Amino acid sequence: MTPAETLAIESPETPAGRRPLAALRRLPGGRRLLGYLAIAGPGLVAANAGNDAAGIATYSSAGSQFGYRTLFFMVLVTVALVLVQEMAVRLGTFTGKGIAALIREQFSLRLTGLALFCVLLANTGLVVSEFAGIGAAFELFGISRYWVIPPAAVLIWGLVLFGSYRYAERIFLILSLAFFAYPIAAILGHPHWSTIGSNLVLPHFLLSKDYLLLGVALIGTTVSPYMQLYAAAGVVDRGAAPGNYRNARLDAISGALFACLVSITIIIATGATIGGRGPLDSAKEAAEALRPVAGNGAEALFAIGLLGASALAGAVVPLSSSYAISEAVGVERSVSRRFAEAPLFLGLFTFQVVLGAAVAMTPVNLISLLIGTQVLQGVVTPVVLIYLLILSNRREVLGAAANGPAFRAVATVVVGGISAMSLLLLGSTVLGWLGIG
Amino acid sequence: MVSPTSPRRLVAPAAGALRRRNAARSNRLTTTRSVRQAIVSVAGLVGAPVANQSGQRVGKVVDLVARMHADERYPPLTGVLVQVGSRLSFLPAGSVANIGHRGVGLRTARLDLRDFSRRPGEVLLAKDVLDHQLVDIDGRQVIRAADLYLAPVADQFRLVGLDVSLATLLRRIGPKRLRRRPTPERVIDWDAVSPFGEDVTSSPATVQLRRSDEQLRRLAPSDLADLLEDLGRPGRQQLLSRLDAATAADALEEMDPDELEALLREAGPDQAAELVAAMEPDEAVDALRDLTTDERETILDRMADDTADQLTALLAYPEHTAGGFMTSVLARAELTETVGEVERKLAGLREHRDQIDAVVLCDSDGALLADVPLFDLVAHPDGQLLADLLVAEGHPEPLTVPPTASVAEVAEQLVRTRRSSLLVVDESCVPLGRILADDVLDALLPERGRLHFPRLLQ
Repeated sequence: MTPAETLAIESPETPAGRRPLAALRRLPGGRRLLGYLAIAGPGLVAANAGNDAAGIATYSSAGSQFGYRTLFFMVLVTVALVLVQEMAVRLGTFTGKGIAALIREQFSLRLTGLALFCVLLANTGLVVSEFAGIGAAFELFGISRYWVIPPAAVLIWGLVLFGSYRYAERIFLILSLAFFAYPIAAILGHPHWSTIGSNLVLPHFLLSKDYLLLGVALIGTTVSPYMQLYAAAGVVDRGAAPGNYRNARLDAISGALFACLVSITIIIATGATIGGRGPLDSAKEAAEALRPVAGNGAEALFAIGLLGASALAGAVVPLSSSYAISEAVGVERSVSRRFAEAPLFLGLFTFQVVLGAAVAMTPVNLISLLIGTQVLQGVVTPVVLIYLLILSNRREVLGAAANGPAFRAVATVVVGGISAMSLLLLGSTVLGWLGIG
Repeated sequence: MVSPTSPRRLVAPAAGALRRRNAARSNRLTTTRSVRQAIVSVAGLVGAPVANQSGQRVGKVVDLVARMHADERYPPLTGVLVQVGSRLSFLPAGSVANIGHRGVGLRTARLDLRDFSRRPGEVLLAKDVLDHQLVDIDGRQVIRAADLYLAPVADQFRLVGLDVSLATLLRRIGPKRLRRRPTPERVIDWDAVSPFGEDVTSSPATVQLRRSDEQLRRLAPSDLADLLEDLGRPGRQQLLSRLDAATAADALEEMDPDELEALLREAGPDQAAELVAAMEPDEAVDALRDLTTDERETILDRMADDTADQLTALLAYPEHTAGGFMTSVLARAELTETVGEVERKLAGLREHRDQIDAVVLCDSDGALLADVPLFDLVAHPDGQLLADLLVAEGHPEPLTVPPTASVAEVAEQLVRTRRSSLLVVDESCVPLGRILADDVLDALLPERGRLHFPRLLQ
């Protein structure tokens, strides 16, 4: 007996038939909007998580060191981010699997190991930068980072472990909104709009090692591997099926564009205020860019934003690499119901937080450390992108949704270009070590 | 969410117990030395040399082909996919003399090259099964095979087990020589495994994994729910399609609400409608509430009219009020019926046994007269009329709340009267549904979801 039959007999006469059905089926409150956000969202969140401490430091440094000269390069990076995020979301919606699981199923175990090693390396670098960001934020208030980083690491570790992270996250998210002062600062800072215009549409590249280094850092901070993992995991988790692909793609593309727009305003704001001063060497200098908005409160505003963004990403990033590795190993949802009972996941998470905090405590310039981690990311990113490209080219993975010839050509050029820059940087660094460069 | 987790889900098997069970199972297969020496690792065989009778190398192993068949507990090896020069060809199991750690030896001196075409039920072990998700029915969990083991059983090689240990993964990443040697640490008997995957089950239409399907159906709904949550989308759609709607609906009721929402979304409207209609109405309403208006409409439109109307009526009540978490399943009786007749009627409502603890009596206008606890039915002789029960000593007054009552009010009523359920009635005292004490428990206990990274961040 199906319940439908039983219920017809057993259920009481409800007044349903007399009321207009459509009105009843619509729920009270903002559920509809939430429903939309349930499909669209991960792309936006993922791309904007890129604007973390390291991102702010890198974009500020670009503005301070080269003025507006990196703007055209950022336009190219935007195109790359859009392509890459779209591929990640497409893989997620059409296969229903995370990227790490797809890599395990599609590549040999050794190649899977290489991919995961790269993700872990890039993410651990990012964790270093998040703790460096927390340290830098407190140093603006005159508190030494050696007092702040250890408790911050314990706090983030504990919040995630004991499941109260969701609440803390909202606070961090609100703090990080301070960085929305940048677009206003970019306008109030009276930049030369005509110069900006020409820098946006025409390349103004410099053939110097510094420019190359910063270029790789810009790629690393904008197209971080964890963002692709997160975007795919997000759509899979929400059950976005091929039918929802249009929404998911729209969300991924708009998220990527929005994130890059914010990055570009940071470069403009910094370029307008402290452009041409050479490499950035302190958070105090970076905070100058917010002076048009906050006046003497610029440092405090910058510190608050930096703290929020760093603490936010300080948990997200190590979680994403732990999840990717657990997913590939096949224990992403072990028998446990609690975080503390998943040894591999917990071990990897703890390892990254401890290592990240420890490296951020070494007595080096925090801004250099922040940018250094992004260079590392930039060097590792192409490896992960190559996997992504191969996966989304494969018809046996995506069927009819695999990259078409035109998309494949453009994406290959983009990934090739990014790889070439990383190799160039690696090569010139090695030559430098050998005393030749 | 009002009743997302049933009490059963809260009593998760302790991780320790599961671990012990795993350990016991791995012992079963690997205690004897001879077994350990006879088993061959599939991951190690891939890339290993193929030699002819005189020991000359003629090619290398690309993959191993096994036939999955409902009647066979351990799939037999039907052949080896071999690369000779640049050509890929199929070597039937009959022409293979031996399979060992070092490679494959041929029975004959000459190699009969044939092209490989997949016959019904055949799977490529390295490509389709190794590194893919599988369901371990004994351990009731989703696993990813780190290695597959073959062993000679009677006269042929069969797939006997699989390995899920991290050490095995590391062995496969390490140097080639290590890769060949099986390191059975956590071995799972293949008999307890249900394979999933596009190529494992869908392409050969004749393969029906009847055996493992039956085992799957015998799992508790909460275990099935865990499996559904843990499988990737293709695997979970396959698992769903292998269950009948009633079993699937029972499992769905036990799922984490967010996971259920994702599952219904990816299942497509027709299947979603079938599944939701088969769920208990209060759980179905919870599930529908989480979807967008459009998705909800699409699903409701595909249901039988009366089911859709009923769910729609329940949806009209706000989630956290009595109307929002009551069940509309009511056992009804007439004053003129005898105790025996009512008991027989109840026996037909077996599938709602968790939702019924009293029988509702109404007057001709549909207004509530009495709510007779099941105990009172048992305590009176079969021939007695229900009307007599109402005047009997100790018959309780019906306990009611309006549909707008909050969880706290409902809990307060139940605590005050020490009853196990109460009725929700409208202004004219017409019963709309029932709330049982465990519904209140669900609503009051904090949700305990499982570890899930993307959700940790929202």
